[in-house]
Amino acid sequence: MLKLFEHNTLHVNSIDEANTAIDVQGLNLWFGNKHVLNDISLKIAKNQITALIGQSGCGKSTLINSFNRLNDLHNSCKYTGKVVINGKDINHKKVNVSRLRSKVGMVFQRPNPFPMSIYDNVCYGLRLQGVKARRQLDDAVESALKEAALWDEVKDRLFESAGILSGGQQQRLVIARALALKPEILLLDEPTSALDPLTTLFIEELMGELKKRCTIVIVTHNMQQAARVSDFTAFFHQGSLIEYADSDTLFTMPEKNKPKITLPVVMVN
Amino acid sequence: MNNTLRELLNPVQRQSLVISLTAFLTSLLLIVLLSLLTLITVRGGAYFWPTPIYKVSYIDNQANDHMVLAQVTLVDEESATTQLKVATLETPYGSELVVEDTKIKRMELSLDSAAISLIDGRMILARPLYLSSSDKDILPFYSFEAMLAEVELINDEIESIRSNQLASIHEQLAVFDIKGVEADAPAREKLISAFTHAQQEVERLESQRQAYQLRVGFADGRALSVNLSSVDNLYFVSDLSFIETWGVVLSRVRTFLTESPKQANTAGGVFPALFGTILMVFMMTIIVTPFGVLAAIYLSEYAPDNLFTSIIRISVSNMAGVPSIVYGVFGLGFFVYTVGGNIDALFFSDTLPAPTMGAPGVFWAALTMAILTLPVVIVATEEGLRRVPEGLKQGSYALGATKLETIMKTILPIASPGIMTGVILAIARAAGEVAPLMLVGAVKFAPNLPIDSEFPFLHLDRQFMHLGVLIYDGAFHSQTNIKSASMMFASCLLLLGVVFVLNLLAVWLRTRLRKRYLQY
Ligand SMILES: Nc1ncnc2c1ncn2[C@@H]1O[C@H](COP(=O)(O)OP(=O)(O)O)[C@@H](O)[C@H]1O
Ligand SMILES: [Mg+2]
Repeated sequence: MLKLFEHNTLHVNSIDEANTAIDVQGLNLWFGNKHVLNDISLKIAKNQITALIGQSGCGKSTLINSFNRLNDLHNSCKYTGKVVINGKDINHKKVNVSRLRSKVGMVFQRPNPFPMSIYDNVCYGLRLQGVKARRQLDDAVESALKEAALWDEVKDRLFESAGILSGGQQQRLVIARALALKPEILLLDEPTSALDPLTTLFIEELMGELKKRCTIVIVTHNMQQAARVSDFTAFFHQGSLIEYADSDTLFTMPEKNKPKITLPVVMVN
Repeated sequence: MNNTLRELLNPVQRQSLVISLTAFLTSLLLIVLLSLLTLITVRGGAYFWPTPIYKVSYIDNQANDHMVLAQVTLVDEESATTQLKVATLETPYGSELVVEDTKIKRMELSLDSAAISLIDGRMILARPLYLSSSDKDILPFYSFEAMLAEVELINDEIESIRSNQLASIHEQLAVFDIKGVEADAPAREKLISAFTHAQQEVERLESQRQAYQLRVGFADGRALSVNLSSVDNLYFVSDLSFIETWGVVLSRVRTFLTESPKQANTAGGVFPALFGTILMVFMMTIIVTPFGVLAAIYLSEYAPDNLFTSIIRISVSNMAGVPSIVYGVFGLGFFVYTVGGNIDALFFSDTLPAPTMGAPGVFWAALTMAILTLPVVIVATEEGLRRVPEGLKQGSYALGATKLETIMKTILPIASPGIMTGVILAIARAAGEVAPLMLVGAVKFAPNLPIDSEFPFLHLDRQFMHLGVLIYDGAFHSQTNIKSASMMFASCLLLLGVVFVLNLLAVWLRTRLRKRYLQY
């Protein structure tokens, strides 16, 4: 109990250099003329779960896409400021984007397994890195699927198409696909919004497990979910960071640390 | 008008009116399509179907009696005339004749008359009487098969002397010529005497073969001798059982598919044209698919989203509407004369002024057709690429894949049904085009196939035959000759078949691919 309390008192401002997984410094981002992210600065703690919440369209996805440079896909995207991971600005032109993306895994809102077998899905990233040895791939597939708590369900049909899996299984397959690359950071963009409540709970539990292995950033617009799973919560509104605190402070003591906008109103979807 | 209709009919009635109208139009379309298919199948099938021979006696305009063997080619109820193909001693291969029905006195099946196909493609309608051989003796007709086999034996013998002895002596003599061996050297004289000996043997065999004759008679009792060695086959077409009829059809279909045209494309088979068509379409597919797919990938994945790209895109879709003859002219002017001419100047200058690549040929034809079908492939592939979900691409990038890797491993497989659709459309279009081909390499008659056993096996510079050109050619003959008209229809039927089979193949492939990527 005491330990738990100690844990809870961990404050965002006390995240030191050694415990920072991602350090966002004065990030501004535009799509064409549209100012999507407005001077965001925050530190994301290592081996913790950080939830990003806020209204739809406020820039949450854009923010986590800038953690693995997925915004590069859009030509109209311009930015200033820094995103520092492992002491290096990832937007520096010498950074190997492929390597960055393999170290910063991502899971999307809609499960997006590739139209191939379950096995090939999990191997996709490793094969890109040139891993060919069958033994190595077999081992990686098994451990990744075990970490994603999917192994028992699919171990007998690894070579069947991933399309036959249910939505929740597909989402865990996508998680396994990212885990196979041993990422340091896992970005989850509304990973459960297309799933039923039971599957959602299952994946939330999984996140608790995964947190020992890597840093997790989860975008959600479900307040309960943020409260349930996250250690820290950042609240965004129209591209600005309004509130960033440890989740217990943010959700249990609103009158003391009052957000500038009343949460329940904003959170209506 | 609109209002009155609305007043007259309640909504249910209006709906059924619409349904019946659309159904009517659809069935009209189906009827047109079916009648087209029926026409081609019936007229094309007639080429293979054995037509019975009648013994006809009629009175001509000068009131003279005639007795002839004839096949009925057309019965015109309206003008009460019958069109006959009449065979007499003067016209053993048949000539067209239109007789008024009232002038026909008698008409009965001539069970003992046969359609005798000659090796050169012509056909005699006559009554086989008897056979004669070198021994000057006369044999009854039932030994026809045995005699034909004997002739075949002599043929084989002649052929073996030609290829084993004459050809090798020829080669040795050629070597002597190169080495500069004296004209009166003993070795050369020995060879020449062997040569003359073999040649005499061939001549002897040929005259022996010449003696095998088939005597045939016509309706008026006059008779004609036919060289057995020139007879290909013989059927008593008026007296065939059901199974025999189909046997004849099958053997004619086989001839049609495997032999070369004879008698200026009015008889024989269409094998070189079939082969040329398929080869050209095949080469076209091999050329157009990578080009089209690469262009589509560039347009949809790499090209910046600006005015220039839009202009290119619009031009590409408009290219599909350019009349095909324009492509033919382009192919001739650019590929054949410019590109081909330059290739000749660079690599084949020793044979100039005789062109090698600078003349119409199968490669230029395939290339021209590839340009013609390129827009179809580009548009369909782009459509397929557009259908790849954005989420999958992002998923691939998020795992560290580069753009190229994402295209190769994720986008292309999912877009493959779309690509196949484009290829199907391209094949269907290429197999049916004739006009541009006539400018860049398709001919009425080509002495050689574009592929043979001679190095380099695939002769890209050779002209080739094409089913469409054969049909076009047949249409010109058809005003005067029923036979070639039905050969034209048979070629049409075959062309339809080829397009159908090629499409079927591609559709099957596409369905397999679709099934694989069903969820997308
Ligand atoms: N590729 C893009 N081009 C232009 N505008 C974009 C693009 N992606 C996102 N936006 C805009 O950026 C804003 C933030 O989007 P997003 O990050 O997806 O919001 P959230 O994930 O919080 O719902 C939205 O207003 C959206 O319209
Ligand atoms: Mg979003």
